[in-house]
Amino acid sequence: MSEQTLITVKDLSVSFDGTPAVKNISFTVQAGKVLALVGESGSGKSVTARSLLGLSGGTVTASTLDICGHDARSLSDRAWQKIRGNTLSLILQDALMALDPLRPVGREINDGLKEHTALKSAERKQRVLEVLKSVRMPEPDVRAKQRSTELSGGMRQRALIAQALVGNPQVVIADEATTALDSQLTALVLSQLRALKQQGRGILMISHDLAQVAHLADDIAVMRHGEFVESGPTQQILEHPQHDYTRKLLRAVPSSVPRFTALSDLGAEETTSPARKIQDSEQHSPALSVKDLSKSFGKHLAVSSVSFELPRGKTLGIVGESGSGKTTTARMVLGLEKPDSGTVELLGERFAPSTASQRQNLREQMGAIYQNPLGSFDPRYTVGQLLTDALSRGKSKRASEYRKPVTQLLEQVELSADLLARNPRELSGGQRQRLAIARALAPEPSVLVLDEPVSALDVSIQATVLDLLDRIQLETGTSYLFISHDLSVIEHMSDTVAVMHQGKLIEHGDTASIFGSPQREYTQKLLSAMPRLR
Amino acid sequence: MSRTAKICCLLVIGLWLLMALAPSVLAPGDPLAINPTQAFAKPGLAHFFGTDESGRDIYTRVIHGAGDSLAIGLAATALGMGLAIVLGTIAALSPRWLDEIILRILEALYAIPSLLMALLIIAFTGPGVGPAIVAVGLSTAPGYARLVRSQIRSLKNSEMLEAATVLGRGTWRKSRNHLIPNALKPLLALVTLGIGQAVIWAAALSFLGLGTPPPAPEWGAMLSAGRTYLHLAWWMSLFPGLAIVSVAVSATLIGRALGGKVKSL
Repeated sequence: MSEQTLITVKDLSVSFDGTPAVKNISFTVQAGKVLALVGESGSGKSVTARSLLGLSGGTVTASTLDICGHDARSLSDRAWQKIRGNTLSLILQDALMALDPLRPVGREINDGLKEHTALKSAERKQRVLEVLKSVRMPEPDVRAKQRSTELSGGMRQRALIAQALVGNPQVVIADEATTALDSQLTALVLSQLRALKQQGRGILMISHDLAQVAHLADDIAVMRHGEFVESGPTQQILEHPQHDYTRKLLRAVPSSVPRFTALSDLGAEETTSPARKIQDSEQHSPALSVKDLSKSFGKHLAVSSVSFELPRGKTLGIVGESGSGKTTTARMVLGLEKPDSGTVELLGERFAPSTASQRQNLREQMGAIYQNPLGSFDPRYTVGQLLTDALSRGKSKRASEYRKPVTQLLEQVELSADLLARNPRELSGGQRQRLAIARALAPEPSVLVLDEPVSALDVSIQATVLDLLDRIQLETGTSYLFISHDLSVIEHMSDTVAVMHQGKLIEHGDTASIFGSPQREYTQKLLSAMPRLR
Repeated sequence: MSRTAKICCLLVIGLWLLMALAPSVLAPGDPLAINPTQAFAKPGLAHFFGTDESGRDIYTRVIHGAGDSLAIGLAATALGMGLAIVLGTIAALSPRWLDEIILRILEALYAIPSLLMALLIIAFTGPGVGPAIVAVGLSTAPGYARLVRSQIRSLKNSEMLEAATVLGRGTWRKSRNHLIPNALKPLLALVTLGIGQAVIWAAALSFLGLGTPPPAPEWGAMLSAGRTYLHLAWWMSLFPGLAIVSVAVSATLIGRALGGKVKSL
């Protein structure tokens, strides 16, 4: 039973209007096994998955494309419909987007049964409850009647998986099903997938992050530019990678990598002796000092009595699940949200609560980087204008006067000067974040507040941005308040770590001690859920 | 926008500008010159669009009427938009209670059909070109104001403005560099659409005898004059009517094209 082959693909190619997206790849998915396709965005992994469902939208050719006994090369639309959901199903990334917000989740799940089975209404209801129970949904009969917006993140994720499982498929495809989820939800999805594997189903996992798939996958295929650069058993890929690209992906995983160790080729020079540039006289007073910050929205207490200090030239990582109050804390530190109580001191001077004119002189000492840099750029400005605007304090956007400092900023973040006349929309995700960093550095701030700065980036791009941030800290002595839900990024980037949970700062200490011997139960739970390579 | 569409738009705008600013280039005659012997002449080589009951050349009058019609349209839209920007910006940036008050007033004004409101205003001021401009301008303002308000509201809470705050920009710089230009850009398309609408309304008021008084060559007034003779001189109404339609249609098309361009940005 366990050696039964469910999907056989030979020489699969997919092209869009003559442009090849997938070139001659071959693989099999077996019952009770997990195959992981790993690669950057644009490598063709999602297209591969979708062509197994007949949803690629391009021209698909293959010498063999066998899906549980069906020759998928010549299926009609009706035949595809029978396979989808029944034999083969897909778990998507974003539960909020994938579930209809206006319908109860039970009915959403029921739809699959209506389409594929001849079950009576009562039997279908029974089956929906069964499947919700099987994904360990708490109170399934209550939840089935609720809409996706009324469910918590975890329940929503369970509902999404239940929807994929209701037709009892033999093969499940998980397309970036854990990307951008916080660690608890990631752990939940991974444990569900593990359960499916034990039930003898075949699983095809797709991810840009090797660490996410390392513990579950039996085999890994590394994909780039539509081709497999390397494939084989997980152990072999992780321990004896043959191809440079595989090594690059492995190296990009930040967990358990000490600070200032390069994750990418670009940052390779600064790996030795982190000699930080900080004046001795300043070393005593912290760059940022936060005391007893609290904030509530209506009855909801978002942040409760949070205190921490950020020493000069160091990084404090704040980690927590979504909704734990990280971003509200950051906004209060930045003076964008008025705290109900508590104070923020920047370089020993009062920064919040305070009026805009009082803090005007201090403003430039603190910069911010967001998860979505594009949203923070004026859409009318080109790259050059954005930086000129930042350098001239909003007085000019004529590039000529500031050409030299603008070019220097671009060099500092390793962007080419050819991009000056481009609009940020035309840049890639990594380039946009570099531009955001360049802009934040223009006023030469002492503190940068980074709110999920790499969460929207692929692991390999994330590695280059993290290396850049490391290098800038070494060169300029800027302090970072680094906020992320991603434990591995926090572990790599932080000198000290603060763990937030339900608005409170529950644990605070050296990175090594927090990650090595966490004291609080919540932190231990969080860490045990962290996907690790090493 | 495709290249051809762009060229067409520019040509149309150029033509209207020429008609409005230098009508004599296209129609050298006097739009007010009467010639009773030539009354009710059919469209032909001597009179392209025929003549009216006093023998005035319709073609000349339509061309010379463009200036007045477009001026009323432009002035009314400018008035409406100017008022809307002031009201909308105040509403968007003021504390909640003031915002609510302005919104309620705008909603009340919005509930009255625009043309009815224009009639109401003229009932107070008496007919004429000036009152027509004010009437059309005031009646379009509430709609624009609501739009300006929501634009500025959403921009005010955007990450873009937050980023500018963090970079240390004051209120004035933020408004001038980011808020106002980004809020007004999508309105550009709407203004163009609005001009077409305003031309129609101005013509409607003149048609009712409440705008430009005859014998001035205003399209609405000409339409109104032609109505009496519709059974024996259809050309008296047709050509001014076509002129109104063509301005409205081309303004709409240009507005749409601009709208598409703004969206694609």
